[in-house]
Amino acid sequence: MTESKIYFKFDGKKYAGNQGDTIAAALLRNNVRLIGRSFKYHRPRGIYTCGIEEPNALVQIINEHNEPNVRATVKKIYEGMIVKSQNRWPSLKTDLGSINNILSPIFSAGFYYKTFMGPKGFWKNVYEPLIRRTAGLGKPPKEFKSKSIHQHHNIDVIIVGGGLSGLLAARKFAGTNYDVLLVEREDTLGGVLKNADKIKFINDQPADEWLEKTERLIRNSNNIKILKNTLVTTYNFSDHLIALEDKNVGKPQDNEKPEFVLHKIRTNHTILANGHIERFITFRNNDLPGVMLAASFEKYLNRYGVVPDESPVIFTNNSSTFSLLKSLTDLGHKPKAYVDIRDQKNIEKETVDLLEKFNIPFYPKSEIEGCEGQKEVKKVSIRTKKNQISKIKTSMLCVSGGFNPDIHLFTQSKGLLKWDETLLTFKPDRIFQKTITLGSVSGNFSYEKLLVEVEKKLSKFEGLNELEVKFELNGPEKFQIKELWETKHEKKSLWSKSFIDLQNDVTTKDLRQAVNEGFNRIEHLKRFTTNSMGTDQGKISSINALGIVSKILKKDISEVGTTTYRPPYSPVNFSAIAGRSTYEFYDPERKTPLHSWHIRQKAVFENVGQWKRPWYFKKSEDETMHQAVQREAEQVRKTAGILDGSTLGKIEIKGKDALTFVNLMYTNSFTKMKPKTGRYALMLGEDGMVKDDGIVCKINDQHFIVTTTTGNAASVLAHMEEYAQTEWPNLNVYMNSITEQFATFNLSGPKSRVIMSRVFNDIDFSNDKFPFMSFDNFKYLDTEIRILRASFTGELGYEIYVPPSHALKLWQKIFIYSRDFDLVPYGTETMHLLRAEKGYIIVGQDTDGTVTPLDLNLNWMIGKKKKDFIGKRSLTRTDIIRETRKQLVGLVPVDKTLGIEEGQHVIEQKDLSLPIKDPIDMLGHVTSSYFSPNLNHSVAMALIRGGKRKIGSRLFVSTENLNTIAVEVVEPNFIDPKNERMIL
Amino acid sequence: MFTIRCPYCGERDQSEFSNGGEAHVARPKDPEQISDREWSEYVFIRANPKGIYYERWVHTHGCKKWFNAVRNTSTDEILKVYKMGEAPPPLKEFKNTIKTPSGEPDVGSGNFSVKKP
Ligand SMILES: [Zn+2]
Repeated sequence: MTESKIYFKFDGKKYAGNQGDTIAAALLRNNVRLIGRSFKYHRPRGIYTCGIEEPNALVQIINEHNEPNVRATVKKIYEGMIVKSQNRWPSLKTDLGSINNILSPIFSAGFYYKTFMGPKGFWKNVYEPLIRRTAGLGKPPKEFKSKSIHQHHNIDVIIVGGGLSGLLAARKFAGTNYDVLLVEREDTLGGVLKNADKIKFINDQPADEWLEKTERLIRNSNNIKILKNTLVTTYNFSDHLIALEDKNVGKPQDNEKPEFVLHKIRTNHTILANGHIERFITFRNNDLPGVMLAASFEKYLNRYGVVPDESPVIFTNNSSTFSLLKSLTDLGHKPKAYVDIRDQKNIEKETVDLLEKFNIPFYPKSEIEGCEGQKEVKKVSIRTKKNQISKIKTSMLCVSGGFNPDIHLFTQSKGLLKWDETLLTFKPDRIFQKTITLGSVSGNFSYEKLLVEVEKKLSKFEGLNELEVKFELNGPEKFQIKELWETKHEKKSLWSKSFIDLQNDVTTKDLRQAVNEGFNRIEHLKRFTTNSMGTDQGKISSINALGIVSKILKKDISEVGTTTYRPPYSPVNFSAIAGRSTYEFYDPERKTPLHSWHIRQKAVFENVGQWKRPWYFKKSEDETMHQAVQREAEQVRKTAGILDGSTLGKIEIKGKDALTFVNLMYTNSFTKMKPKTGRYALMLGEDGMVKDDGIVCKINDQHFIVTTTTGNAASVLAHMEEYAQTEWPNLNVYMNSITEQFATFNLSGPKSRVIMSRVFNDIDFSNDKFPFMSFDNFKYLDTEIRILRASFTGELGYEIYVPPSHALKLWQKIFIYSRDFDLVPYGTETMHLLRAEKGYIIVGQDTDGTVTPLDLNLNWMIGKKKKDFIGKRSLTRTDIIRETRKQLVGLVPVDKTLGIEEGQHVIEQKDLSLPIKDPIDMLGHVTSSYFSPNLNHSVAMALIRGGKRKIGSRLFVSTENLNTIAVEVVEPNFIDPKNERMIL
Repeated sequence: MFTIRCPYCGERDQSEFSNGGEAHVARPKDPEQISDREWSEYVFIRANPKGIYYERWVHTHGCKKWFNAVRNTSTDEILKVYKMGEAPPPLKEFKNTIKTPSGEPDVGSGNFSVKKP
């Protein structure tokens, strides 16, 4: 077989791998074993496993936006890939951070909690800089743009795992009426059939042939969809699962195609056939590069054709390592030694025969005490059955500590576990959702029993196929194991450590220390030691930790219990979660019909909700925002200005009971209001607090149009709907949002009447015919427009409502007819300034959900004769009528050259010099502040305690640099208090 | 993530709905005639039980209709939905969904993934 080589770089050096290799497989092929440095102690680490459970071999992919913490045992190589090791400085081989290893007493259990506690100053000056420099994993990417997409599925059955159990289940469903999704995390189906040489024949064919035929059969059935390279990460309520599909396996990133697909799967039945995970055993220096799990070693041999080492030492407490022994000897390699903690009489005959046949040193009833080596394993110490230490030179040690059903997803689904005394592990006991577990995840490690299990557990489905499968096995059928979590070891040096969590550098000593310090509950112990809190969530070690803790506490493991398994099963890329919702696709952008005009006029935009609104218009390139706003504001009061108010929310209310409904929704009374007039209105919550304001226009008692603030349009409509549907369903009333059906222009200023008369020369705009707060509809070209005389600036003003299709032409026409007045377009900032000069509030700026109409001096807006409206009863609550509530006032600086800053405190004392001895009484804060070009000084509004009674007094406003500004408290109405300019 | 059966549209994803708090809290008919305390209880006080809860939901990203639902707050199971104005189903209809004296169902809730021996 000729295979073309794939070249990639690891830490600057070029290596060749085979098509389909993971980074780890390719590096092992090249005899590279040192992959990274550990989290706290910077100890050398290598490749521990051959899959998703990997705690050590995390790398950074430089050419993929510098993606950190990628599992080298999962990520497949491609031509030109650039990989770097993590968490080492200055280089992987000479790492200065490994000094932490010697300083390890300060990094022991509860380290984070203890350093947070003191001594004072230690955290900031000593611990934090030290931790920041030396602890941690990879570096985060600087930028990324997601190309990932989301896909939704609604199916009958999901089969999680395309190994032997999943395939048997899929085989039963093939060609039936069930809509089935088969999800496999590797790039091939088969699972154990690919990973190990355990099954010789299935139905008298080699296992590979059976696999190929079965896959073809499933693929040709039209009811089963197969997803490969897809990992189920989450099992939510209502049988809702989330799976992450990697679309770039073994390929460089493609800028045109999605990188990930996040599958959101809603299913009627969930078949978990997601297998098992091998666990390790703790011994002295069990973290050295060269220590590898036995089944992972076997997987490298069988799946990748890589021999990580030709003569490793094998260390086991169970029967599963027979197949590793067989695979190695079949290849002509001879293990250095076979160490089994079980009595020789309990060790399977097949294993003993094979050891004898190849004359392999055999150590029954023995264990590994520890291993030596600087950067990788050089020697292992075996404690023989006579309790003597025997040393063997070797560069690799394969460990099997037994198997855990991969119960992560099962417990996410809220199923309950129980301890199995013969398998020495937790297995599923009671389901909570519509879950079926098959094969090793259910604790069934027997191939013969698997067939019975599949038939039995799928018998509730109708019309499934009959299975005709017969296995011929290569080794012992029965799985046998003897309990062992940690071997007895001798302390060799300060450097010697026995790890229980490799990724987070937690040792068994830490567990003992934590229990001694009183952390005897497993959830507390986990947080205190950070055991199993790494990105691998302790997949190969968390049950071992329970075993060790149960021994320390002298309790049964089932009594100790497990910690909670939480989604995701394995880290999910943020780009997959974000999907298409990044940058401009994160939230819709809404633009008014005049947007293109604004751009041409050099508008600077402000985001108001989803809307883009002109903030101010730059007259020239070097005009500052302050200059622009001052110019705009001055011009409006001098001649006229125009604002694009199209973003204002507009709601149409119709129905026989529309008047009653509007009377209930707003504080004002609308009963006696004449048709074709409008009224400034307040909406409260039931708690009496101001929720929104706007203008209510009455067409007649059955038909109203109301405006809302730009940001509240949706919530006001929802609020109305809620009351119409839930409190007053008997009222005949209908609401509809018409925000986008009209563009709105706010023309304002002393010349606005003249301009209106010129643009609409057939309409009489005289005060008699068109008084303040009246409106009417008019024919305009082939359409209809509505003109409302209203003002938010305190000047004579008109609001024009026009269908968007006519908006731009009419807007331009208005400018043509007002050239001699220098009509100025103005933005939201000038609008805010002009209304502040008049003391008009902005809901959400001068109010914050704790402000009543009484606090705002808006008592005149309350329809006192109305029997009821939302929030009315609250306005007479004792707390609401309290005179010391915060109330709205105006502030003017005594020194007219000074500016007041929004958000600053209003206080009674002048002196703020340090040190401040007594608490300063905060009266309230500045809600709005602007420099008024029309008054030539600052004007501000503030909410202060007992404000109404403070009018006429002098107070102080704090400044950024701890000074104060003296201010006069005044009525919040700075220009034309009698409104003569507006209603003339 | 669970699904909710909108009484108007049928079964939809939870993300289409918004929760509206406790159901069957009637707005006082004549607010002016009740005490501050009674009124504030209506405005601010809601039950927060572990177990069976009658609550309001609205199909925000759908038909925008309000309806009532009975949910077991400890398992997030929606046991029944019914339209606004319909009488609430009696509590005893759902009593058997809580199995232990503490109100903790023995499966599907809490932080214990291992069956208590
Ligand atoms: Zn609906």
